[in-house]
Amino acid sequence: MNWKNVRLIYCKEILGAIRDRRTLISMIVIPLFFYPLLFLGIGYFTLMGQEKSEALPSLVAVVEDDTAPRLIEKLEQDEKIKLVHLKENEEEALKAGEIYLLIEIPESFDIEKDQENDRSIIIHYDSTIQRSQIARKRVTAVIEDYRQQMIRERLEQIGLNPDYIQLAQEEWLDVASEERKIGIILGMILPYIIIILIFVGAMHSAVDITAGEKERGTMATLLVSQLSRLEIVLGKYFTVMTISATSMLLGLIGLSIAFLTPVYALGELSLIKAKFSLSLFFLFFLVLAPLVGLASAILLLIGIFARNSKEASTYVTPIYMSAIFLGMISLSQGMELAEPMFFIPILNNSFTFKELLMGTIHWRHILSTLTSNMVIALLALLAAAKLFKKESVLFRS
Amino acid sequence: MIQVNHLTKVFYDKKRGKVTAVNDVDFCCHKGRIFGLLGPNGAGKTTTLRILATMMTPTAGKVLVNGYHVVKAAHKVRQSIGFLSGETGLYDRFTSRETVRFFGKINGLAEQEISKRMTQIFQTLGMTHFQDVRVDKLSTGMKQKLSIARAIIHDPPVLIFDEPTVGLDVITARVVIETIREFRNQGKCIIFSTHQMHEAEKLCDEIAIIHLGKLLSAGTLVDLKKRFPVGDLEEIFFKLINKESNK
Repeated sequence: MNWKNVRLIYCKEILGAIRDRRTLISMIVIPLFFYPLLFLGIGYFTLMGQEKSEALPSLVAVVEDDTAPRLIEKLEQDEKIKLVHLKENEEEALKAGEIYLLIEIPESFDIEKDQENDRSIIIHYDSTIQRSQIARKRVTAVIEDYRQQMIRERLEQIGLNPDYIQLAQEEWLDVASEERKIGIILGMILPYIIIILIFVGAMHSAVDITAGEKERGTMATLLVSQLSRLEIVLGKYFTVMTISATSMLLGLIGLSIAFLTPVYALGELSLIKAKFSLSLFFLFFLVLAPLVGLASAILLLIGIFARNSKEASTYVTPIYMSAIFLGMISLSQGMELAEPMFFIPILNNSFTFKELLMGTIHWRHILSTLTSNMVIALLALLAAAKLFKKESVLFRS
Repeated sequence: MIQVNHLTKVFYDKKRGKVTAVNDVDFCCHKGRIFGLLGPNGAGKTTTLRILATMMTPTAGKVLVNGYHVVKAAHKVRQSIGFLSGETGLYDRFTSRETVRFFGKINGLAEQEISKRMTQIFQTLGMTHFQDVRVDKLSTGMKQKLSIARAIIHDPPVLIFDEPTVGLDVITARVVIETIREFRNQGKCIIFSTHQMHEAEKLCDEIAIIHLGKLLSAGTLVDLKKRFPVGDLEEIFFKLINKESNK
């Protein structure tokens, strides 16, 4: 085998890819612009919606018979709560979104005067409406304040200091570092996105330079040249790997820009707080490079086997869906894989990558991921090279 | 230059079972001659030419191209041939110059040699005015000229043309025919497949009529007319294939 010939094929395919608008879209535009914009958009609109809802006063209706005047007074004093007086159809008004919350104080509720009376207040809200949930939070705070005041007064009435009942006050301290907090968020999102980026980047080019070449009749010109079949397959394989890796790297750059944009994508945390060392980047490479190799080999194998681009796309779809499914498992927080599961490709990449993002280095997991992906990629590549020698595959119509 | 002895190619098809695409075929092509394979669609012409071009391996028989065995010395055979068929497409996103340079490189030519040969070929085929135009902007005729240029950049002694005029307008087809004639004058060995009688009659020094994988008869046009005194090549062709079909 002559590596110079592999390079010739590689350069030709890369030049072709650079001049192909569709490859550029899947390799550059989608990862560098589309995904970051998607994240920024989701973050921006969620934040805008929240801010708008928080800024608005909560419209609250109260149905009562003057049994809790002090509570009503407290509600009226709260700047963020606006009491609405409705004479009838309060529940309908709540369902229609005219009010955000309905407080029903029964006639029997009279704790301000009679200590032995009914103590329940019924509050109606709509869990599907954010404004109603915000109103619930605000009213709960007012009721808690009201409750504490009532307790203090009653204790004072019997000559006890209110502090007397303040037993076992808890104080919660979070030991998780900022890096770990950001790691857990990134660990949930990134592995899944990276799997998509790797496959989306590689899919079009893998199909185009194999099944597409067959379809356009350009494959025969390569077969009668002085290149060996293995040289052709390797040249094409490295092309798909390059495009897939570029798509992944540009995607990561794009997402980093999105995450660095204050608050939109990652809430209160900023990527700036996450300090990734050079050795960690090396481990990222160890985990992700075999996945790029694996995805490229499998997609190339499918492309060589298929009669044309359409058939190749049909075969690629279930592979892509399976990859997304395996990647999605890493989205679930708290899920842990058993040791043998780290030999399942894609699943192992997403979990090992997640561990690394959270600052945990399990060498056994890294090695399992590396070896299983590399072995399967090599087998797929050998199968692709073998298929490329089969007349029944190359010339079937 | 091309020697084909008892060539047989069998395919296995899921629906049809065993299919003999080429059945015990013998023929020879010589330097400075055009050998025509004449046959209807499905006769086995393309399969024969693909075996000569090392794209397929024979099931039985011996094939030598420029003295090299197509299976044992496939690489040497590929160095000796230029292949052109209706199927051999071009890269749409490359210019004519880039296309020819790429094929020069993968056929082992040095950069200087490529430039020299390219200038010469482009002038001969009248391609200079579109050498820097991308293939997807070229007309069918221009593309066919480029396909020829790509096939001959490494100056091979043997040229294999599989129905090179299919789908071309009369003017372009004529240019292709003239170019093939010019290659013969340069002393190249040319094998040419077609299903068009007039093309074979005009161009070929020797003709082999092939049908259902079998070579029915071969020789110069004069020989064939002597052997089958039924009229022109078309009449000979129909007489032979009808006889074979009725067997």
